[in-house]
Amino acid sequence: MALTQVSSNKCAGGFQKVFEHDSTELKCKMKFAVYLPPQAETDKCPVLYWLSGLTCTEQNVITKAGSQLAAAEHGIIVVAPDTSPRGCNIEGEDESWDFGTGAGFYVDATQDPWKTNYRMYSYVTEELPKLINANFPSDPDRMSISGHSMGGHGALVCALKNPGKYKAVSAFSPICNPMQCPWGQKAFAGYLGSDRSTWEAYDATVLAGAYSGPQLDILIDQGRDDQFLSASQLLPDNLIAVCSEKKIPVVFRLQPGYDHSYFFIYSFMNDHIKHHAKYLNA
Amino acid sequence: MDPYNVASDRGRGAARDVSTFQRFSVDTNESLRFEPCEDSPPSPTGAEDGYDDDDDVFKEGETEREIVTTRSRLQGKVAEMENFAGHLEEIFLTVEENFGRQEQHLEQHYNDVLQTLSQRYDERAAGLEEEKKGKLEALYGQLLVCGRALDASKELIETAQEVYRSQDKRLFLKEVDLTLSTRLEFDTPLADMSDVKTMMDSINVVPAPSAPVINPQMPNSASQTSLRVCWSLFSDDTVESYELYYRPVLEDTPADSTLKETHCTVTDLLPNAQYELWVTATNTTGISPASERALYMTVPSPPVIKRRECTSCPEAAMIRWESGNTNPVDSYTVELSETSTDGTAGGVTESIVAVPTCQCLIQLQTGRRYLIAVRAVNIGGPSDKSDVITVSTTGTFFHLLEDTAHPCLSISEDGFTMFYGDEELPISAMALDDTFTRCVAVLGDLIPVRGRHYWEVEVDDGTEFRIGVSYEDTERNSFLGANKTSWCMRHILSPSRHKYEFLHNGWSPDLRITVNPVRIGVALDYERGTLSFFNVALEQHLHTFHCHFQNYVHPCFSLDNPGALTVHNSIEAPEYTFI
Repeated sequence: MALTQVSSNKCAGGFQKVFEHDSTELKCKMKFAVYLPPQAETDKCPVLYWLSGLTCTEQNVITKAGSQLAAAEHGIIVVAPDTSPRGCNIEGEDESWDFGTGAGFYVDATQDPWKTNYRMYSYVTEELPKLINANFPSDPDRMSISGHSMGGHGALVCALKNPGKYKAVSAFSPICNPMQCPWGQKAFAGYLGSDRSTWEAYDATVLAGAYSGPQLDILIDQGRDDQFLSASQLLPDNLIAVCSEKKIPVVFRLQPGYDHSYFFIYSFMNDHIKHHAKYLNA
Repeated sequence: MDPYNVASDRGRGAARDVSTFQRFSVDTNESLRFEPCEDSPPSPTGAEDGYDDDDDVFKEGETEREIVTTRSRLQGKVAEMENFAGHLEEIFLTVEENFGRQEQHLEQHYNDVLQTLSQRYDERAAGLEEEKKGKLEALYGQLLVCGRALDASKELIETAQEVYRSQDKRLFLKEVDLTLSTRLEFDTPLADMSDVKTMMDSINVVPAPSAPVINPQMPNSASQTSLRVCWSLFSDDTVESYELYYRPVLEDTPADSTLKETHCTVTDLLPNAQYELWVTATNTTGISPASERALYMTVPSPPVIKRRECTSCPEAAMIRWESGNTNPVDSYTVELSETSTDGTAGGVTESIVAVPTCQCLIQLQTGRRYLIAVRAVNIGGPSDKSDVITVSTTGTFFHLLEDTAHPCLSISEDGFTMFYGDEELPISAMALDDTFTRCVAVLGDLIPVRGRHYWEVEVDDGTEFRIGVSYEDTERNSFLGANKTSWCMRHILSPSRHKYEFLHNGWSPDLRITVNPVRIGVALDYERGTLSFFNVALEQHLHTFHCHFQNYVHPCFSLDNPGALTVHNSIEAPEYTFI
């Protein structure tokens, strides 16, 4: 598990670093970003895993989301992986921006030609935490997960499928019900095949309906002027309905005037980090 | 005579219109006079008529032409007549107008004249009336005078007649009083020489004492109902006994007691009252003059702490009390001592002296228990301790300001649960000055300390409520959250779902909450300018208002439909509330 440091910049009293490694799950070289707060010099810190959305890499969140100051204030390590395996030379992986490269959808694919490399679910939930805990001053018992859009879907799914593993979960404009929206249907058909029952394992709305485990407290921010919301790609109402029925605590905030961009994430990142800090530092 | 002159003539005024009329009629007659045809009147049916036997084409043509001309002339005339009719109408209207105006003027003018005449008549008539009155009065007066003169004369005659008839003609002179007004003898009072005798006797006797010297009031010598008075002799007089007089300053009659000692404790007095005291010394010779009058004051009654108006928070407590005395006292002393958790009093008592008003904001340590009492102080000294109140600096504690409660809101005896009943508003419950009049709301009495405060509110799943904070002077006829002076969380129950709003100045963010909170934590941080709401059971953050609170705020609660709500305080704020 050798790590190569790609970059390091001092930021908000700590360090924003990027590393590269050979991934065993994805069978290719993968980059990920790590923010180390000042407290990491002396103590073990909790970790927040951030999953980015379609077309993003590990760079977008660390340059555009403004998370470092809040992370430094609360002493939280922020880890941001890439959104798909890269350079695997799979035919068709670069054809669309919402499937293949930059669009891993945080699932373990079962269909050819994706199933060898496109195992982002296992990468995020298994390989990456082991790597982080072995190489950084992280507290292995205190981790949480968050993300934007496809990454929001990823965060919700990881939390719901792993009761008790993540101390907190939140999302920005997540894809709440991929089985019912064009994005999800395209991706799941490609990665998981045509049997829709296999899709349910990666759909946050379905998983919430069947969730049993320690109590969650989900914070979701959604821009009201988000074009993908009006294009029925995100479907938050479905998730809220299920959570209301199953009594899964959710606070869903519809923010007027905000869209799908990183400007929106930047505006509410502080609130989310505070939400995570409450549970990570408890 | 050109008929078309009519148009131009109109402009020359009303007077000319009549003549134009005549002229036109002349014209009409003229112009409508048809020239007989050379042969015979032209036939409408043309050449079929027998009369036209020797008409050749040319003649017929002529006739036709004539017909056409005549017809066009006729048409012209008709048009002119129409025109003329129009003009006539106009003239008619103008004449009517003019006459109307003249009528009006005439009417007005004659009305004025009539009015003036009537006025003159009134004036003359009034003048006459007055004159008549005056003359009659004068005559009447004169009549009265005559009558009186007549009566006087009659009397005189009668008296004269009497005198004439009586035997003694000089009787009338007896009316004059010739007796002396004073007695001729002198009063000689008896000479009282007894005091001269006493003075002669006492030349060799012990003199009466001189006035004793009464001491001013000694500090801490008075109690609520007694005063300790001391005095001393001016010189080495011989004294057998003393007489101490005392009375309340505003009364007249003094009480007194006889004493052998030079001190006395006077009892049965009123608290916080001023008394005037003086002393005389007595020996066989007599009584001394009175000493100077000294003013003494009894100690006040102890104050009464107003338990429902005391509030506290982790760093301080606000104690309010009633003076306990009808007259003013000089100041108050607040005494506090820390107790341990099992209630036994600790050692050190801290005193805050010279408190000028009936309240005191005391700085305390967090997480302790204190016993606090108050004394009233005047020049006589401090009163007894008031009843003790226990204050805990765990969390923030407050009562409700029941004076602000809407008439429909009833509050339990312990003061922490409020009910909005289904009953009709009682007619006698008129809105007093400070109550909410539309929103069924009440304020809490939060201690005025700009720190962190936390309290919890317990509701039912179906209760529609508003809870939050507001400035003390928030509009009483407005709804909580609808104005700039209040911030609140609102729960609305619709047939399909629960709806939550976080209202300030009528605006709320758009939120969904999937698990309905029944116990809500409210955290207020003055310094950070935040007001946050939590689902206590889940430790879930719901929303935070960010606002710089310019003045102190009070917790506010309201019920939007019949239901109940309970306030819980003195709770230490959970860690997550002030991250």
